[in-house]
Amino acid sequence: MIRKEINKISEVGKALISVEGNPGVALNHVVELLHADSNQSLSFAKAINISEDSTRFQVFNGTQGLSTRTKIRIHERPLTAGFSKNMLGRSFDGIGEVKDGGPEIIYEKQLSTRLDTLNPTVRLVPKQALWTGIPMIDVFNTLVKSQKIPIFAGPTEPYNKLLSQIAQGAKADVIIFAGIGLKFDEYQYFKDELSKSGNMDKTIMFSHLAGESQIKGLMLPDVALSVSREFADNGKDVLVLLTDMTNWSNILRNVANYQDMIPSLQGYPGSLYSELAKRYEVAADIEGAGSITIIGATTLESLEDPVPDNTGYITEGQFFLENGKLKLARSLSRLKQQVNGDTRNDHRAIMTAMASLLAEAEKAYEAAEVGAANDPFSQKLLGYRKDFIEKVEEPFGKPVQLEEALDLCWDILRDHFDPAETGLSTKLIDQYWNK
Amino acid sequence: MMKNKRTGTLISIQDSLVKARFYGDVIMGETAEITVDGKKLQAEVLQITTDPKNEDAGIAEMQVFEDLTGAKIGDTVEFKQDALSVLLGPGLLTSIWDGLQNSLYPLSEQDSYLKPGLKAPALDEEKLWEFTPTAEIGDALKGGDIIGWVMEGRFEHKILVPFTIGTCILESIIDKQSLTIKEVVAVVKDEQGIRHELKLVFRQAVKSPIPFKDRSIPNKTISTGVRVIDLLAPVSYGGTVGNPGPFGAGKTVMQHSLCKYALADIIIMAACGERAGEAVEVFKDFAELSDPSTGESLMNRMCIFGNTSSMPVAAREASVFIALTVGEYYRYQGYNVILLADSTSRWAQALRERSGRQGDIPGPEAFPMDIPDQIKGMYQRAGADSATGGSLTFIGTVSPAGGNFQEPVTQATMDATGGFWGLSQDRADAKKYPAIDPLVYTTSVYDSFISWEDREKILQILNEANGIDQTISTIGLKKVPVEKYELYQKGQTIDFCVLQQDAFHELDACTRPERLQIINQTVQKLIDQPMHYSTEGMDDEEVKEMIKSKFDNLRQWWKEWNTYAQDEEQIETLAIKIDQFILQEEYAS
Repeated sequence: MIRKEINKISEVGKALISVEGNPGVALNHVVELLHADSNQSLSFAKAINISEDSTRFQVFNGTQGLSTRTKIRIHERPLTAGFSKNMLGRSFDGIGEVKDGGPEIIYEKQLSTRLDTLNPTVRLVPKQALWTGIPMIDVFNTLVKSQKIPIFAGPTEPYNKLLSQIAQGAKADVIIFAGIGLKFDEYQYFKDELSKSGNMDKTIMFSHLAGESQIKGLMLPDVALSVSREFADNGKDVLVLLTDMTNWSNILRNVANYQDMIPSLQGYPGSLYSELAKRYEVAADIEGAGSITIIGATTLESLEDPVPDNTGYITEGQFFLENGKLKLARSLSRLKQQVNGDTRNDHRAIMTAMASLLAEAEKAYEAAEVGAANDPFSQKLLGYRKDFIEKVEEPFGKPVQLEEALDLCWDILRDHFDPAETGLSTKLIDQYWNK
Repeated sequence: MMKNKRTGTLISIQDSLVKARFYGDVIMGETAEITVDGKKLQAEVLQITTDPKNEDAGIAEMQVFEDLTGAKIGDTVEFKQDALSVLLGPGLLTSIWDGLQNSLYPLSEQDSYLKPGLKAPALDEEKLWEFTPTAEIGDALKGGDIIGWVMEGRFEHKILVPFTIGTCILESIIDKQSLTIKEVVAVVKDEQGIRHELKLVFRQAVKSPIPFKDRSIPNKTISTGVRVIDLLAPVSYGGTVGNPGPFGAGKTVMQHSLCKYALADIIIMAACGERAGEAVEVFKDFAELSDPSTGESLMNRMCIFGNTSSMPVAAREASVFIALTVGEYYRYQGYNVILLADSTSRWAQALRERSGRQGDIPGPEAFPMDIPDQIKGMYQRAGADSATGGSLTFIGTVSPAGGNFQEPVTQATMDATGGFWGLSQDRADAKKYPAIDPLVYTTSVYDSFISWEDREKILQILNEANGIDQTISTIGLKKVPVEKYELYQKGQTIDFCVLQQDAFHELDACTRPERLQIINQTVQKLIDQPMHYSTEGMDDEEVKEMIKSKFDNLRQWWKEWNTYAQDEEQIETLAIKIDQFILQEEYAS
């Protein structure tokens, strides 16, 4: 027997409620919670486990203020995200409700938030560079349209500043900002930066602030990415800024814990990898349509933490920010080979040569700390390392064009080494060394 | 034979795990279809119990291979009797499927997105194949016997009696003609008197291996084109290798190199829980590249299972078994097959997610307790068959959490495989690719392209150079004697010029055995040749500086030598320079 309204909640816990028996609700479908006496709408919730004996829901607005008398009204549909071009320039919460105090939006359509996988055969192999004006990215780890790549950084690093700087440079038709567990000043920072650069009218902000309902934070990427996908399906190049996925993963961990799931590493559920992958894999260049590029932020204490570790296996590389510098050693763009063969003829070679010299230099630096870098070549390496950090790993200088950045690399090599010490071919040395 | 329709109804739904109540009989491991909003979703039975609420009924626990959004208590389950299986027959090559063998191109005509319930045939049902019979009416046959063949590209694809059929007699067989995989080519009668219609294709359960005819020890080395592998850690046709590495250490580039350059008849790629973009690169860009042994498109020797990371997790486990079964099928036909599974860790994680949901008591890092046995069982399906001349080589990548090789899946893989290519974070950070640590690997081949003694000498000098390198970092170059420093420079040169290889350079990317042997001769000379320099009036530090600058030159020539083909004229000049350096002809007087 299917009831459209349920009058008895058997359990109210953290973020979750349960009812006895099977009220006829389907998996992942939404229900509305109503005040027992006034019928005032309190929240929506989603069915996550259902059986003959009981049904469990995630409550979007949190469970504070609910009681066993709270009424449940069944809506026979999964969570959808409203879509309208009028959303541009506006701000929303994790389930797509207007958050900026502006007028309600009249939606053109309701989108599924299931994030079905794109059939791999309609993906294009990405071939178009997105230039950022940041030498460490453009020369060493070129960003490519449709890439999914996070910034890995300690919690006190200026990762939001970097994210915002990359966003301003990348030429996207639509920017979707998806912020989870933000502090208010972070939210305001992005809003100000996007407005200052004149990008606000092509931006939609979805944000969840720290302390707001966890379930809304958990749902946020799905809503934001569904909206992104609708733009891309209609031919737009979309840039998604996803920050901070560690906050999101921590909510996932909390909710898994409330559901008594068996934890795998550091309390995270065994499905962490699949859950992160489901979101990041939305990035794509779609045949006959637009594209979605995802640049995320993942804060970390250590690279071995489950969140950055799983993320690294999912994303197409990462930008590693440490002491305010974009570090070469742990940064990687997996798609760079798709684009850096068609630029200047020295691009790949200079990238490889400078990287192996820097690795040598790091060893010399460690040796120097114990007074062991006492030979002339080690001294050269130390000088090179200093220049490299100051001139190449600095992400916040004035924007540099690729050619200029490559010339800068030659300048640095010339200042410190003899040609044969660089490992570069004689052909390139002849062409560029005395330029 | 008519089967009675056996059905049940859902009584519990949790992520991809469901329970259904049924009356009658359900078989462990059989597949089922769950009807949700009119769509049929595929599932597999994992556990069967009696129903505590109803003594006439049973409860079947199942994992569902598709998203269950919209499923309700009471939805109908139909049990299909057959275990999870794969369709085998002509047309497998060049195919691109999801993890359950739905063909992806036909699916994309239905929708750009893989929506639950969408299905597409595994093999082209319209294509005509010219069948040539070889068996004759009255022949006594059994499962696995050949009744004829078709040409699949350049491969003679044998048509087999399905392995599930026992001893039987061939009652009829068609003459040579073109037909599709839906048509009947022969009829056999088994010992129970039951007639079976044979087609060009048959279904094979994926968890029961296709047998060997005469299993043998893998003893012939594969030319992979990757120097560090072919010199130091070779793999044989029919061998097994685990390839672990932290993210960013170059597993993907390694897999792509093997796809492009490894000498084998057939390459099967099981993209298991990995990035979709990488599988796409393989089937879109690699189609443009040519097969090293035939010059045809690389895709003509490949098939791909693209069960990528955002696809339903339950299908991940299935995808590896399905790919293995296709590999065994071609091995049985006498072909050398390489299966690249990327990544076996994602496969193990799929088992972990499932066992967690089932409430099993977890083993280390919450993996199922029996994960080492499951991994071993999987790798054991690789092997060589001396009766058919075929082989199935299994190269599995491992993605250890935190890059830590002590974690359960890496450990179990080391135990299960004959070879182990450990990718090192330090080498990757220094952009020394391929980042296989020459000092952290194992191999169990019985044959290789260079002699065992030569190989030992290379390893020894790399080991010594590594030791000196550590000395230099801790006490400084000054304390290192000149002759040790020279040894260090030799080791560095072998590492930089031979072991490191540019996977994106059209020539450097692949080195064949003939060229590898030339390189080895030079390497051996370099190792053996004692160096003499005129060092009059120089102190030790100046001598070391001189040695370094000479070796810098050597490395530059050698690196350039790597980028020329054997028949280009520049290569001769460079080879002479390298030889003169090593034999010290310019310093001899």
